[in-house]
Amino acid sequence: MSPGNFLRSTSFRLLVWYAGIFGASVAALFFIVYWITQATLSQQLSDSVEREKEVLTELYRGGGLDRLARAIQLRVVDLRPPRRYYLLQDAAGEHIAGNLFPMDPVEGARELPVSSLFPNRGSKKEELEDIYPVVVDGSLLDGGEFLLVGENKYRAEKAREAIIKAFGWGIAIMVLLAAGGGAALGGGFLRRIEEINRTTRSIMDGDLSQRVPTRSGGDEMDQLAVNLNAMLDRNQLLMESLKQVSNDIAHDLRTPLSRLRHRFEAARPQTEADCAFLIEQSIAEIDAILETFSALLRIGQIESGARHAAFSDVDLAQIVSAVAEAYVPVAEDRGQQLQVVVNSAPAIRGDRELLTQMAANLIENAINHCPAGVVITVALEQDAAIPVLCIADTGPGIPAAELNKVLRRFYRLEASRTTPGSGLGLALVKAIAELHGASVELSDNRPGLRVTVRFPAAGRRELLSGPRAMRGSPSTA
Amino acid sequence: MKILLIEDDAHTATFVANGLREHGHVVEHSASGRDGLFLASGGGHDVMVIDRMLPVVDGLTIVKTLRGAGVKTPVLLLTTLGGVNDRVDGLEAGADDYLTKPFAFAELLARVNALARRPPMAGESTVLQVGDLELNRLKRTVTRAGKRIELQSQEFRLLEYLMRHAGQVVTRTMLLENVWEFHFDPHTSVVETHISRLRAKVDRDFDGELIHTIRGSGYSLDVAR
Repeated sequence: MSPGNFLRSTSFRLLVWYAGIFGASVAALFFIVYWITQATLSQQLSDSVEREKEVLTELYRGGGLDRLARAIQLRVVDLRPPRRYYLLQDAAGEHIAGNLFPMDPVEGARELPVSSLFPNRGSKKEELEDIYPVVVDGSLLDGGEFLLVGENKYRAEKAREAIIKAFGWGIAIMVLLAAGGGAALGGGFLRRIEEINRTTRSIMDGDLSQRVPTRSGGDEMDQLAVNLNAMLDRNQLLMESLKQVSNDIAHDLRTPLSRLRHRFEAARPQTEADCAFLIEQSIAEIDAILETFSALLRIGQIESGARHAAFSDVDLAQIVSAVAEAYVPVAEDRGQQLQVVVNSAPAIRGDRELLTQMAANLIENAINHCPAGVVITVALEQDAAIPVLCIADTGPGIPAAELNKVLRRFYRLEASRTTPGSGLGLALVKAIAELHGASVELSDNRPGLRVTVRFPAAGRRELLSGPRAMRGSPSTA
Repeated sequence: MKILLIEDDAHTATFVANGLREHGHVVEHSASGRDGLFLASGGGHDVMVIDRMLPVVDGLTIVKTLRGAGVKTPVLLLTTLGGVNDRVDGLEAGADDYLTKPFAFAELLARVNALARRPPMAGESTVLQVGDLELNRLKRTVTRAGKRIELQSQEFRLLEYLMRHAGQVVTRTMLLENVWEFHFDPHTSVVETHISRLRAKVDRDFDGELIHTIRGSGYSLDVAR
């Protein structure tokens, strides 16, 4: 992450705004505190000066000029801050007592710079407290003498210095904290964005296995990372399935196409009937190829999840019993027995057309791969409020090692290479089941094969159907 | 019949138009959606065969526009392989039937004929009669030459469909779609098995075959052929 990058980032802009607003409020606080403190202290100062003047005036009234002069002599030796100033002069302007030079008698309170009190001292600052301005209060006594009491603004100035210092440090620390903390926080944020960017760049460069690093914090960034990864997983799955499909098509459609080619190559039709037969056979072969294509596309479309839009409430029991009923005579004609045990089940959300095809594929799978004499059972039961469709036969079954492979596209057992079918029937069943959030499980029926389709419980179903647009179940024209 | 064909692919158009003409129909062809819509609005056609994928104005839009303008001519929509949701979309837009490419010409012909002679739904009578065969849709009873015939529910629906299209060819796919609601091609002889069961009940013990197999096309229920 370059510094320029950071300055442009959202977190930095937020940080500046935040620091600005915070700084403004601290400044406002500073001015309020400063103003109130200064006003209070100068009030206290003028009160204190006035009180001292009144005390001295009382002394004068009670004990006369001598007593006042003595009291002033005692007071001026006290050098502790805040420094006090006194002046007692007679009516002629001659100095009687105090630490100030005689001056024009001006009654009332006022503030004087220290230089005007000690005009001869120049700018030399012998004692620190002498530099502060002085608040004086003078009044003419009964005998014509002039009394002046003053106190310098030491306290107020000290308080002002303390406030400025405190706020100075406070603001400095706040700025440091805001900048440091913001940079750390924003840096962490940017680092994680950068992680995501790095991952997406690697994926764009072709490394599909890259994932955004996640941590267990559970904040928005973690959720974003988890969601991104889930999306990438899903995309990778779709990509792989797409790749798989193209490979499957390439491999499995070569066979019928080369068979067709050989047929034409070897054909030496002599009569019109020969021609007609050749054409008929070839059309049948081409139809089979086209059907494989359409089954593949169908599986692809179902896997992409686009069919969710056509979901509605469907009666699984009604679908299964209608499909089973259609196949009862078919099985009978082949010397097989098809038993149907369908209990009523609660309506599920699903695609009527696809569920019909799923049931038909499963029953046909049993009929086509079993010899005469077997019993095929189609059962729809409820296991803990979950609809379970079970199709079991007493036929040759599938070796345990191959049980899960038969759900793949084009996977066919060696034993069934000669039976008709594209090898896509069970793959389509799996795709339809997954679209409905159902699981397909193949197991040994001892003897025979048992296929169990477990539909999701009601809660999960709601989640799957979600807030998607609802459409009526497809009906026939 | 006068049939309007809107199809941009020259091969398919020739294949369909020639076939329909061979069967005595008058075919008007348009290769673009815009011209097709113009022709269709003119009216006077018994059936329209419209390709779904057309340049500029697509098939769905044509059907929607026509239905919006009150044109009630039956429409058969054609589409390319694989559109799983396409059939529902097409029917919702107002098409009457749907056929996926590639198709056998016999299939198209049977569907065009079925569409043209489609009886109005509201006016359908409760009793269907072909020769001495009688089917009561309300009582759900079937008699032939006065004798009661017991049918399973799917056999009843099969016979009902055949009788509603009496004299027409109905294909295996049409039966699968309309009787069993199978919108896929099963790998077993579901239709053949049920037809043979139905024949055993309806035809075997009576004079004169009613259910006929039309080679390469499908089946037809008719008094005499």
